[in-house]
Amino acid sequence: MRDAPRQITLEEWDARYAELSAAGMQEPTYGGPLRRHVGEGDLRLQNLRYDNSAASLRLWNFLLTEEDRLHQARAEGRKIVGAMKDLGTVPVMAYSLPGVAAFYPDGAWWLPCIMEDSTGMLPIADSLGIDESFCPVRAMLGAFVTGGHFPIPDLLTCSVGATCDDFSAIAQRLNSLGYPILWWEIPSRRHPEPDEMEIRLPGGFSAPETQVAFVRAELERIRRALEDLVGRRLTEDALSAGIRAANRVRRLLSQLRRLTYTAKICPLPALEMLVAEMLAIHFCSDRAEARVVLEQLLREVRERVQAQQGVLSKASARVFWVNPVADLRVMNLLEECGGRICGTDYLFCHVLDKIPENLSPMEALARIALADPMVGTAADRAERICRDILAFHAEALVISRIPGASHCATEGEVIRDFVHSRVGIPVIEIEVPPVSDSYRSTLRTRLEALVEAAKERRRT
Amino acid sequence: MIYAGIDAGSRMIKAVLFDAVKKQIVASGIMDQGVRQDALAQQLFERLLLDHRLDRRAVLGIVATGYGRHTVSFADTVVTEITCHAAGVRHHLPGARTITDIGGQDSKLIRLDAKGAVQDFDMNDRCAAGTGCFLEVVARRLGLSLQELGEMAGRSVKPAAISSMCVVFAETEIVGLLAAGAMAEDIAAGVQAAIARRIASMAGRTLDSPIIFTGGVALVPGMRAALQTALGHPVVVAPEPQMTGALGAAILASRQ
Repeated sequence: MRDAPRQITLEEWDARYAELSAAGMQEPTYGGPLRRHVGEGDLRLQNLRYDNSAASLRLWNFLLTEEDRLHQARAEGRKIVGAMKDLGTVPVMAYSLPGVAAFYPDGAWWLPCIMEDSTGMLPIADSLGIDESFCPVRAMLGAFVTGGHFPIPDLLTCSVGATCDDFSAIAQRLNSLGYPILWWEIPSRRHPEPDEMEIRLPGGFSAPETQVAFVRAELERIRRALEDLVGRRLTEDALSAGIRAANRVRRLLSQLRRLTYTAKICPLPALEMLVAEMLAIHFCSDRAEARVVLEQLLREVRERVQAQQGVLSKASARVFWVNPVADLRVMNLLEECGGRICGTDYLFCHVLDKIPENLSPMEALARIALADPMVGTAADRAERICRDILAFHAEALVISRIPGASHCATEGEVIRDFVHSRVGIPVIEIEVPPVSDSYRSTLRTRLEALVEAAKERRRT
Repeated sequence: MIYAGIDAGSRMIKAVLFDAVKKQIVASGIMDQGVRQDALAQQLFERLLLDHRLDRRAVLGIVATGYGRHTVSFADTVVTEITCHAAGVRHHLPGARTITDIGGQDSKLIRLDAKGAVQDFDMNDRCAAGTGCFLEVVARRLGLSLQELGEMAGRSVKPAAISSMCVVFAETEIVGLLAAGAMAEDIAAGVQAAIARRIASMAGRTLDSPIIFTGGVALVPGMRAALQTALGHPVVVAPEPQMTGALGAAILASRQ
């Protein structure tokens, strides 16, 4: 049953769900009304506004049932890999093997928001000496200690080196609690010296061949660990097939982003786009279903664009957003302030790039791992942001900081200077804690002022 | 053609009536902010009308701004204080490129482009350091008014080194300095320098002149000089600096 696109509250979703069900909506096994997740503790859902399509409902249900999928995988005897800190490389390898589910334990950083601090995970982290001066990803420690969210993985990998210091400290504390971790190192990406062979990376970056070879060797260690875990070889053919399957998901996201961020009228809200982009990291623990969810979403967006329908005013200011927010409510707030998302760099834009298919699979994976925006300089990242701002015709930029996160402590000024000199659009930095209610009026002022500045520039 | 701007700040409410034809301020007023923000704003607005023998119907549009802008029910629309300060400063000083606004509870640094449009801005509104609140805390501790504190700072020979990071810690530092026999003049000057340093840290590496100083703290003697030293650029205090936001709001009302 089609309805004009709009954003609705959880209460409105109750009625909408009944309508869609009565009209014969087909749902997957994890389907159901959105409200049921509130009963399971996801209290923040009561304060959000959602897209009203069946495709978006499926997206939310897919996201919010990941823990169920992981527990089911454990019950079925599948091996579970926790790929910490790595955003998008180890999961591609893990899903190339049958009987393996990979996920991102660091994703627990959203639980204090989704569950509005009701889980008690942050106090556990506090008690372990990882207090609020650290990134909210410290909630992961609580999730491991209580075992109340995801099952304890059979294999835990963690990339360290050029990734953030906070996470390294948190993972070391986890290790000290008796959880063995296979550490692998990712070097700080640098430009090749004149006498070094340059390797072009996805995303427009480059690195010396020696760095790519080093990462390839590190990933070979992961490959051997995965083989030991399941007792079979991870062949080149299987890896290549895994890369092609990952690329199918990435292509869908790429189309979804292009359509949504370039449409004259915004066809899909910022919140649903954020959730959709997150699927690329580890496929929300089901690669095949991630593809189905994205295909349905893409169909919905395509129909809306063709019908020139959308969820926001045509006059909305086009905003590029850097770094994910700790409180999902803020994505709604941007739209309430008259903005719409036109381009993002949520710190994992390399997982939106196609993994090269014309190289040996391990070489291709090493190159994509080194294209991670987090392992290069802020200036490198800013270059890519400027390119995307121009591609999506963004009129303003928000740099969102995560309290305590060491990877974005000082990059804001670098990105701002780059964007000013290259693109010349208004830029603001904001800091968003996991539950930002008490900070809402000041966030609103900043976002409203940014939208006003962007619209003023249209006039002048 | 009269338009009104109401700046519902965290400490004071300011109102300006602006003649859009003559491009001049007809009337302005200020009063303490309180719990019933809407009623207070209404009271100030009506007092201005009465004092200047103006009928409510003569006011063709009202824009509310400031922290309490959404509480002003009689405004036609709301605009943030960032945009309003830019409009207010442009009216007086069209070539301005940077605005430093220090109010009672927050401070802002607003960058304007060559056309006078807001390019970007930084705000400090989660910490009292870098705001007028810091001055109030110290003035209270020293038993002085803000005016007296500012005048005292002007007599300092060697400003005390005081942290710009936290007012609570700074107050502890001041207790220690007083116990050690530091001169009140030097403490006052040290506090002004600390506030100015905080603003300078918001400014970052690049700053374009002319720099205009707005907000109530611009009226405190010595603050302009402290800001000038910290920023390393000349600083100009806007005419009636505490009214800049309300003026900008009235000007924007005339354009809507």
